[in-house]
Amino acid sequence: MRRYVQTPGPIGQFSELSLRQRAGPLDLVYVAYGLLVVAVVVASYLLGAFGWLPHDPQAMDIGLINAAPFTSGHPLGTDFLGRDLQARLILGIQAYFLPGLLAITISVVGGSVLGILAGYRGGWFDTIITYFDNLLDSFPRLVLILLVIAAFKADIYYVMVVVGITGMPVIANLIAGKIAFLRQKSFIEAAHALGLPAHTVILKHILWLNCRALLVIQATLGMAEAILVETSLSYLGFGVQEPTPSWGNMVQAGANYFLQGNFWPSTAPALAILATILGFQLLGDGLNNLLEGKRRK
Amino acid sequence: MDAPLLAVENLRTYFYSRAKRAFIRSVDGVSLGVMRGETLGIVGESGSGKSVTALSAAGLVTAGPGVISGRIDLQSNGSRRNLLDGLENYARVTEQDGRVMAVEKDERGWRRHSETLMAGVRGKEIAMIFQNPRSALNPYSTIGKQLVETIRLHTNFKGERQARERAIHWLERVRIDSPRLRFDNFPFGMSGGMCQRAMIAMALSAEPSLLIADEPTTGLDATIQSTIVDLLAQLKTETGITTLLISHDISVIQRLSDRIAVMYGGTVVETGRAAEVLAPEATARHPYTAALLASIPSAETIRRKSYLQAIEGEVLDTIEVPRGCRFYGRCNRVTEAIRGNCAGLEPPLGEVAPGHKVRCWLYPAAGKP
Repeated sequence: MRRYVQTPGPIGQFSELSLRQRAGPLDLVYVAYGLLVVAVVVASYLLGAFGWLPHDPQAMDIGLINAAPFTSGHPLGTDFLGRDLQARLILGIQAYFLPGLLAITISVVGGSVLGILAGYRGGWFDTIITYFDNLLDSFPRLVLILLVIAAFKADIYYVMVVVGITGMPVIANLIAGKIAFLRQKSFIEAAHALGLPAHTVILKHILWLNCRALLVIQATLGMAEAILVETSLSYLGFGVQEPTPSWGNMVQAGANYFLQGNFWPSTAPALAILATILGFQLLGDGLNNLLEGKRRK
Repeated sequence: MDAPLLAVENLRTYFYSRAKRAFIRSVDGVSLGVMRGETLGIVGESGSGKSVTALSAAGLVTAGPGVISGRIDLQSNGSRRNLLDGLENYARVTEQDGRVMAVEKDERGWRRHSETLMAGVRGKEIAMIFQNPRSALNPYSTIGKQLVETIRLHTNFKGERQARERAIHWLERVRIDSPRLRFDNFPFGMSGGMCQRAMIAMALSAEPSLLIADEPTTGLDATIQSTIVDLLAQLKTETGITTLLISHDISVIQRLSDRIAVMYGGTVVETGRAAEVLAPEATARHPYTAALLASIPSAETIRRKSYLQAIEGEVLDTIEVPRGCRFYGRCNRVTEAIRGNCAGLEPPLGEVAPGHKVRCWLYPAAGKP
């Protein structure tokens, strides 16, 4: 989602500024859609958490297997055991919501700490983070996650700890870069000269005031990543196990009936995954253009 | 006579330059005293060590193998404290032939000890303003919030509303128009001069006993420069604040200073009352001061369309300090009689008139302490 604009000026002359990202009206649409998705996800999570579901998600109705949407009593149809898809889709959010929050908390907090150490202290912290980053890049993430599952157990929280840790270097690099940029400005030195304690300068003036937009954006993108990992693993059978619903194992379960013409039980959760991940990604991208692009000078 | 508010004694600050792979003796044996209520102006070319002297006094020299030694005594609440007390235990410097050969430093211990020494001093007792005020303010916070933050930290105005009123009071004192509106401005919405005024308000709001102004007018437009100088002069008469003013601009120094110290190559080469040091008819004067004064553009030089007089040669590279006078290589007043001394022996800072000291072999009588 980059748009390059040329600033008005002599033809053929590109200034450095002309290559900067500009926020446009489309970004507002992205952010609006993203916020809608977030709202739906949070509301559905709460519905699931309190058990306010339209149907019992485990109740089977053998007489109504693989029902199409808009069947009476089942607005989104039923699956291969005649369980209500709407209720199972809502309950499926439980599978990734808290684990996803855990993953982004780990990557944001850990990434911030590493980034500050690298940017503020520099030296060998910087080197370590670079090597850590390279190490993770040279290793497929899914393989790493499967290794952890093999070594410990197939628990989504273990997986999300891995997702969180592997997400740290990206954030650390961004924050270290931001600090390197901020250090050219003298306000950090000025803040020290005004007698502000080091933790105030680091936490308030650097992290809160200057990096908060960046962290929100990264957290949003991290959530999309966590959902993708959870659904992939559940699809493969390493994540949430039947009969507990997860969007991933719903797609997998429905896929067996796909070629028999009952495409809906697997398509519904697949569309939910698509819409949700797209929402988080677009939210992150739109926020990036609106918050960071505008301020970049 | 009273003890000075800030007494710097034999201050030495060394840095390591990665590019040159050598230690630079930025400040090399500086002694200064700032009396309560006076303004001491430090003037010199870039690289003469004037800013580093100020940063050392504010305890802001921590970078890498930077080493400070000497004494910096600050008179606070009737007691005197040495801001460098015990720091020498954390670093060892090996010197050979005027060259720093090695520095062993316990970085963490140094930083920690320096922080304990400066606790309650930096920002509270010694406040500082910088050049380029626009970048000295956090771009993502309003000036009001930043001002309130320092006020709540350093003064008894702890309440949110109290601190806010105090902040507005200070914005008024630094002559920012409609301070209540400006309170919610971000630094990018203000001019450089406004930012510097806000910065001055932040520094003074802690009611420090010493204000260090490090090139406060550099990086501002010429017209804004003079209004900032006016403001500093007004604040000086209003508050009687003791100021250590650093500038390469002699006209700024002349306007604001009671006393002057001229620095060259990391040492003070001349010090005395401002009127005496800068008097056009001064009889005893360091050749470097003379050269600095000659390089000021005046209406006279412009009218005669003559060239501005630059000082020949380059600023002393303080990696290897010569055995003789530091200015010897660029000096145009070396006479045969004193050449031997100039080349081989560093002149002492000798008194040529009461309170007026010059570091030059031209004044041999003065050379004897």
